[in-house]
Amino acid sequence: MSSVAVIGDLDTITGFKLGGVSTGYVVNTEDEAKEALDELLESEVSIIIITQKVADEIREYINKTMGSEIVPMIIEIPDKDGESESDNDQMRALIKRVIGVDIK
Amino acid sequence: MAEEVLEGINPTRMELLALKKREKLAVKGHSLLKEKRDALIKEFFDILNKVKSARSDVEKILKEAYEALTLAQIQMGDLAVKKTALSVKESVDVDVTSRNIMGVPVPLCDTHFDSRTLVDRGYGFGDTSAQLDVAAKKFEEAVKMIIELGEIEKTIYLLAEEIEKTKRRVNALEHVMIPKIGNTIKVIDMRLQEMERENFVRLKMIRSTLEENEAKAEAKRAAKEAQA
Repeated sequence: MSSVAVIGDLDTITGFKLGGVSTGYVVNTEDEAKEALDELLESEVSIIIITQKVADEIREYINKTMGSEIVPMIIEIPDKDGESESDNDQMRALIKRVIGVDIK
Repeated sequence: MAEEVLEGINPTRMELLALKKREKLAVKGHSLLKEKRDALIKEFFDILNKVKSARSDVEKILKEAYEALTLAQIQMGDLAVKKTALSVKESVDVDVTSRNIMGVPVPLCDTHFDSRTLVDRGYGFGDTSAQLDVAAKKFEEAVKMIIELGEIEKTIYLLAEEIEKTKRRVNALEHVMIPKIGNTIKVIDMRLQEMERENFVRLKMIRSTLEENEAKAEAKRAAKEAQA
């Protein structure tokens, strides 16, 4: 049995708390984000929801920690100000690497 | 590259037979892996379509949720919303198991949501606005969809990894292993033929020497007989 956690800015955390996700880490700096991620990886949390802005800042760190195991799943979501284009690019780069052609 | 051969192989008939077996195995493995790769790519594309729609759904619902939250914050004040959020009970419970796609374990989330009424959320109604209920409901929906999205995205990443691995194997077999084995077989074959020819020549030479000797012996005997 495992649970869900959120890393992001204050409003996002508040919103998700309303939605029933009580584990939330408000982060403002890169180091805080890394710390929060480390803590979550050590605990039994299997789904980590992270805002794109935070994820962009610690992109390399995420890629390094995300192995080929099933858990944890790290999901990037847009924050209050809307989405940045980066996640799309990630997916696109992945597809290009795998299939060999650029689609979309 | 074209002339590369396997190292440490003696040009014997035994090795030739073993190599021919190896080549057969490599070709078979290559075609199997190729099939695996194609099947994985097909699977990958199927899921790719899903992820696109799932992502746009999540983005839509989150936008609505944020809007509702902002409205609630306007009506109640930032601090009050935060305070209320703290008293909301945890409602999400996820069971992550795994499923197999072509030998790749991918996550399968079993999400339990206690379907909640307003009362179950755990905050009081006295000092909260109706807008907050809307926001909470939207976020509950969003969490559900995000978990689904996460499952799909993780699946894609894992599949992609496996496809890359399989591709590398297919290429290694196709461009390195199989040509190398083929070349080695050719080299051994030529070497064996050469040995056969050498042997043939040697036999011929021995025979001609023997014949010569015999002829000499014959001549000697004939000479002796003539003397006698």
